[in-house]
Amino acid sequence: MIKTSTGDKVLKVFAYAFLGCMALVCVYPLLLTLSVSLSSEREVALHGYSVIPQNFSLDTYTYIFAHSGATLLRSYGITISVAVIGTFSAIIITSMISFALSVDALKYRNVIAFLCDFTIIFSAGLIPWYVTCTNYYHLDNNYFGLILPSVFSVWNMFLLRTYFKGIPQSLYEAARIDGASYFTVYAKVAMPLCKTPLLTIGLMYFLQFWNDWWNALMFIRDKALWPLQYYLYNVLSNVNAISSGTIPSGAAANIELPAETVKMAVTIITIGPIIFAYPFVQKYFVNGIMTGAVKE
Amino acid sequence: MLSGNGDGAPQAKVKKKSTFAKEIKRNHTLYLMCGPALLFMLLFNFIPMRGLWMAFTKYDLRKGIFGSPFVGLDNFHYFFFGSGMGPRVIYNTLYINFFNLILGLIFPIAVAVLFNEIGGKLFKKFSQSMMFFPYFLSWVVVGAIIYGFFATDTGVVNRVLSNLGFETVRWYAEGKYWKPILIIANLWKWCGYNSIIYMAAMAGFDHSVFEAARVDGASKFKQIIYLTLPMLKPTAVVLTLMSVGRIFFGDFGMVYGIVGNNPVIGNDVAVIDTYVYSAMRTLGFSYSTAIGLLQSIMGLILVSLANMLAKKINDGEGLF
Repeated sequence: MIKTSTGDKVLKVFAYAFLGCMALVCVYPLLLTLSVSLSSEREVALHGYSVIPQNFSLDTYTYIFAHSGATLLRSYGITISVAVIGTFSAIIITSMISFALSVDALKYRNVIAFLCDFTIIFSAGLIPWYVTCTNYYHLDNNYFGLILPSVFSVWNMFLLRTYFKGIPQSLYEAARIDGASYFTVYAKVAMPLCKTPLLTIGLMYFLQFWNDWWNALMFIRDKALWPLQYYLYNVLSNVNAISSGTIPSGAAANIELPAETVKMAVTIITIGPIIFAYPFVQKYFVNGIMTGAVKE
Repeated sequence: MLSGNGDGAPQAKVKKKSTFAKEIKRNHTLYLMCGPALLFMLLFNFIPMRGLWMAFTKYDLRKGIFGSPFVGLDNFHYFFFGSGMGPRVIYNTLYINFFNLILGLIFPIAVAVLFNEIGGKLFKKFSQSMMFFPYFLSWVVVGAIIYGFFATDTGVVNRVLSNLGFETVRWYAEGKYWKPILIIANLWKWCGYNSIIYMAAMAGFDHSVFEAARVDGASKFKQIIYLTLPMLKPTAVVLTLMSVGRIFFGDFGMVYGIVGNNPVIGNDVAVIDTYVYSAMRTLGFSYSTAIGLLQSIMGLILVSLANMLAKKINDGEGLF
């Protein structure tokens, strides 16, 4: 056996210290947010934010549900329905084209792949996109404005294609000889073989829809259609504007400042489901990222 | 199928002409399956490109995209010389992206390399999970967290400053601090994600090389310097080139999610993308389309170059 030298030991200690610190830095802000949301408002105003709940209470959450429970629940409903419908449609759209492009017999697959690539390297930009979406498709103030613009991602398509390409083409041919159409091959052979990758892609889409507020910022003015993230965004941006001191004090008096604990509680409510799902879904994301990386 | 016919020549001609139709007919199911995605790209990527013409006009809603008066390059000229904002937002974008790029190289690589050096499985698992978590948060949530740190009265940073006897700062009224804050926030959000990419690369390493180095008595540190880092180079180069390709694109979500519409610090962190968004309301569609077009052209050039380079370098490295 080779003896571990002092240098190696130092390196090891450094590695533990560095990684431990990085991990703490990543998780500390979240603990802080959680702790403030569970503190009493008065204590926070007095002592500032602290990572240990001060005077532990669920008052803030009770308050939120009593005062803006209906708005919040509606936003929750919007976010969940957008994420579910969006993810479901996105999986179908993405898996069909990914499968088709993974079949060698498809002659023009490179042409189609190039069209996909082209959307990555060149885009019309925000304004033409916005004008087209609002003037022609009437997505402004429209529930579908939250779904349609994000229902297909070329990145996810190429990622899924990598998985489909791993399936031996001979399996397809066997089914074809038995008289199955390509759609049957896709639904009965390819999809069942790619359950895990499909789950990975599905989770990626779901996260994207869950975290989306860009579409809402672009299209939605009606409060009844605000998704959760956009609701939080509005709570915060009012506060930012006020604390920068640019809004005349008279105006500020009219805007009801959400209390510190309320802001943090809304944040926790927004990320709550993610925190609970995280331990179970994390490995799929890691898998997806690793596959994407290897593809490069 | 009809090869028994005898007269090959005219038939071959017909065949050639209709290869396209034949292929479509033969694989129509597959093409139909591409349909929804192609329709999506047509609707949201290709049709909007017509709107680029607005960049050369003074857009008038009533006259439509192609009926509005043509003004040549006026919009572009105004961006660089008239608005007073052009050079500034370009500078901000490049500044933030440059530091994102550098820190986005150093930290994820350090994390990946050091994870390789430690044995504790439980520690590894937990700290990896913790580092990856910020990736799951939206920029709005990150904005809320940052508020918790920099709020004037209750924020953590000011409390620490006052406890240490320093002057507190009204962070949300001081623009000069926000570029670094955004850069750190970006690092915080993406470090775990990017380190996974490097760990994926390291998982593919040939372990016999490290074994040989160990037998030869090379210290862990030397192994990192002379083996791990050079072997990570192709991955780092590819990721860097991808960032360089998008260096003229600011992260709208990051800037807007954290700073929002704060008018005081807005100018100090305005990137091209947020400027386009705000110019849309104040300076009109044509002007902001022009800026977007400039950005897209720079993107097209840089991404294509980066892509070419990446392929070249990757193949070169692949021989080792």
